Amino acid sequence: MASSLRPILLAEDNPNDVELIMTALKEARLINDIATASDGEQALDYLFRRGIHAGRTGPQPAVIMLDLKMPKVDGREVLRQIRADPELHSIPVVVLTSSREESDLMQTYKLGVNAYVVKPVDFEEFITAVGKLGFFWALLNEPPPEKIAQP
Amino acid sequence: MLRNVPIRRKLMLIILLTSVVVMLLMRGAFFTYEFFTFREATSRQLSTLGEILGSNSTAALAFDNSDDATDILSALKAEQHVVAGALYDRDGQLFAHYPAALPAGAFPASPGANGYRFADSYLSGFQPVMQKDHQLGWLYLKFDTGTVMQEWIWGSVRLALGIMAVILLIAYLLSRALQRQISGPILALAETATAISERRDYSVRAPKGGNDELGRLTDAFNLMLDQITQLNRELEQRVIDRTRQLEAANLDLERSRAEINSLFESLPGLYVVLTPDYQIVSASDAYLKATMTHREAIVGRDLFEVFPDNPEEAGATGTSNLRASLDRVRQTSVADTMAIQKYDVRRPDGVFEERYWSPVNSPVLSAKCELKYIIHRVEDVTDFVRQKKGGGGSGDMQARLQQMEAEIFHSSQQVQAANQQLQIANRELEAFSYSVSHDLRAPLRHVDGFTGLLQKHAADKLDEKGQRYLNTISGAARQMGRLIDDLLAFSRISRSELNTIEVDHDGLVANVIRDGRFERLPQPPEWSIAPLPRVRGDPAMLRQVWFNLIDNAVKYSGKNPHPKVTIGTAPDSADGEMVFFVRDNGVGFDMQYVAKLFGVFQRLHGNNEFEGTGIGLANVHRIVSRHGGRTWAEGRVGEGAAFYFSLPAKARVNGPGATAANGASSPT
Repeated sequence: MASSLRPILLAEDNPNDVELIMTALKEARLINDIATASDGEQALDYLFRRGIHAGRTGPQPAVIMLDLKMPKVDGREVLRQIRADPELHSIPVVVLTSSREESDLMQTYKLGVNAYVVKPVDFEEFITAVGKLGFFWALLNEPPPEKIAQP
Repeated sequence: MLRNVPIRRKLMLIILLTSVVVMLLMRGAFFTYEFFTFREATSRQLSTLGEILGSNSTAALAFDNSDDATDILSALKAEQHVVAGALYDRDGQLFAHYPAALPAGAFPASPGANGYRFADSYLSGFQPVMQKDHQLGWLYLKFDTGTVMQEWIWGSVRLALGIMAVILLIAYLLSRALQRQISGPILALAETATAISERRDYSVRAPKGGNDELGRLTDAFNLMLDQITQLNRELEQRVIDRTRQLEAANLDLERSRAEINSLFESLPGLYVVLTPDYQIVSASDAYLKATMTHREAIVGRDLFEVFPDNPEEAGATGTSNLRASLDRVRQTSVADTMAIQKYDVRRPDGVFEERYWSPVNSPVLSAKCELKYIIHRVEDVTDFVRQKKGGGGSGDMQARLQQMEAEIFHSSQQVQAANQQLQIANRELEAFSYSVSHDLRAPLRHVDGFTGLLQKHAADKLDEKGQRYLNTISGAARQMGRLIDDLLAFSRISRSELNTIEVDHDGLVANVIRDGRFERLPQPPEWSIAPLPRVRGDPAMLRQVWFNLIDNAVKYSGKNPHPKVTIGTAPDSADGEMVFFVRDNGVGFDMQYVAKLFGVFQRLHGNNEFEGTGIGLANVHRIVSRHGGRTWAEGRVGEGAAFYFSLPAKARVNGPGATAANGASSPT
């Protein structure tokens, strides 16, 4: 809670990937808080402030980094629920996935994703890509004001 | 008020009314004139009477003899309408009066101004009684004009009424005779119009009187009737014609419908037409015969209700397989061929007979591509199946032939099954490559990622050997990542649909050379590019072909101090194929391995010599085959290589540049 910046929500089920992404964001010297969710359900709980996140008071994230293939609720469903919710629908969502399959690209763009990034296998490329992504979305990009569309 | 009165009466009324008004006005003027004339005459008459009386009574006045005067006045009795008379002496005193019985108070007390005046219904007044120039007194007379006037008015009115009656009678007779001139033609028109509107008889014509406006109106009316009659006749003719055409078309339609129906019903094959919810619409006679049913008994009913599974056969799959096949047709709108089915039929007596069928279910789509019907076609293969079951043994030629045919049916059944398995395998392959894409790359990324982290973390603790090991691990992981990516791309090429349009090969090649950034190489090659024909094909895939071939040519000629890449067309093959090539002056290859070149993961050079995954040429081969063309190569170690591909004649686009063939020279 040290920073007044809005946090980054990282929804990723693979702990190895979580560690690599955290490292990459740290290398990029981002000081935003990073919240992690190890499946789609946890990510939705965080965003809708329920379940284990029932008492969460902080602001909604500046950006959501979303894996597609996750247990329980997959990334597409999380994205769909975010876009359908009047409070959350404007939050930038970046899909960060291993898949370059056309069907995944088509579906997520149709659901309104802001960016689609394939995780590079090469470590250096990975660090650079994730770092740039975090820098752009968490610092450079102006997130939408809170509570844009309260009904 | 007069609006609804018949025109004849209207005309007469107008004429009579006009006559009455004119007459009344004239009578009024006459009456006024006569009235004033009458009054003047009365006044003059009275004055004359007064003169006579006055001169008769001068002596009585002069000698003041009132008795004489009274006598003289009493002569007034003869004048019926003189009701009073009086004489006044010189001093204006009443001297004598008539009638003598009246009291003196009934007369004016003293004489007034000379002259007679009308007052109420009387004419009364004074006149002087003179002897020479000497006035002896005054005479007063009162004349009852009321009675006279009444008599006169009565007479006048009677006269007026008499005249008026005569004139009206004449006017009536005249107007009755004359109005016919105007009302006659109008009435005739009206009657004609009524006749037409009531009887719809357009042949009636209005009689014409003269050439005045009414005559012209009649002419116009008759002309209009002529035109209506003409139009009516044409319209009727048209209706008759149209009706006749419609009837003919209907008849034709019915005849052709019946014909199509009977054609369909007498088809030698076994056909049933089903609605999308499997109700029977129609069936061929052959089908009815084979299934031992009647048309009336099955049309409109559910297929599975009509043909249930044999209840005595526990494992019967006939209905479930057929339903699955029909469901597939409904979902995909593509014909579905079923393997041979055992599907027993029920005899009219309820006993089931063993039957084997070879069915095909085809969709009938509407213009909007909606499923309208499903045609279920079957072939009764029971005899063949039984023979096959019975087995050979017979040396009879005919029997062997039939047995062979039965075997063909069985193997076609196996082909069907294999086809279905292939479809399943294809779907599994798709699922597999999807999962590879997601799941296989993740651990590789972790291997490389954590190797990288370890390198950073323990850089000072590792000796050179340790560093090299880590580099090897990370290099291997990256190579495997590339292999997976290329393999996925390769499988995508096989799976994705061809998007065929007209392709500009010159543009594709120029685009590949620009995007490949080959001029940045330490030894950029010398290009020789001939004009290429336009073809029909998938531009993205053909670009991939050119990219792989050009990239290979640049890569393998990279060690030549003067690398050169030639792109062009070779002469068309005998069956009209267009042939393209990419040639380089690089390391070449040994022709004994040429067969391996286009296989997946097949490489003729080590990775330390030339980098690569061994997928590129496999992609080229796959793409060209999918376009219906061929790939081949020529080469010699150390003397370069040439890679050819062809596209079929049907891919040719006739137009400018299409005939450009064999452009490039062939340097070595």
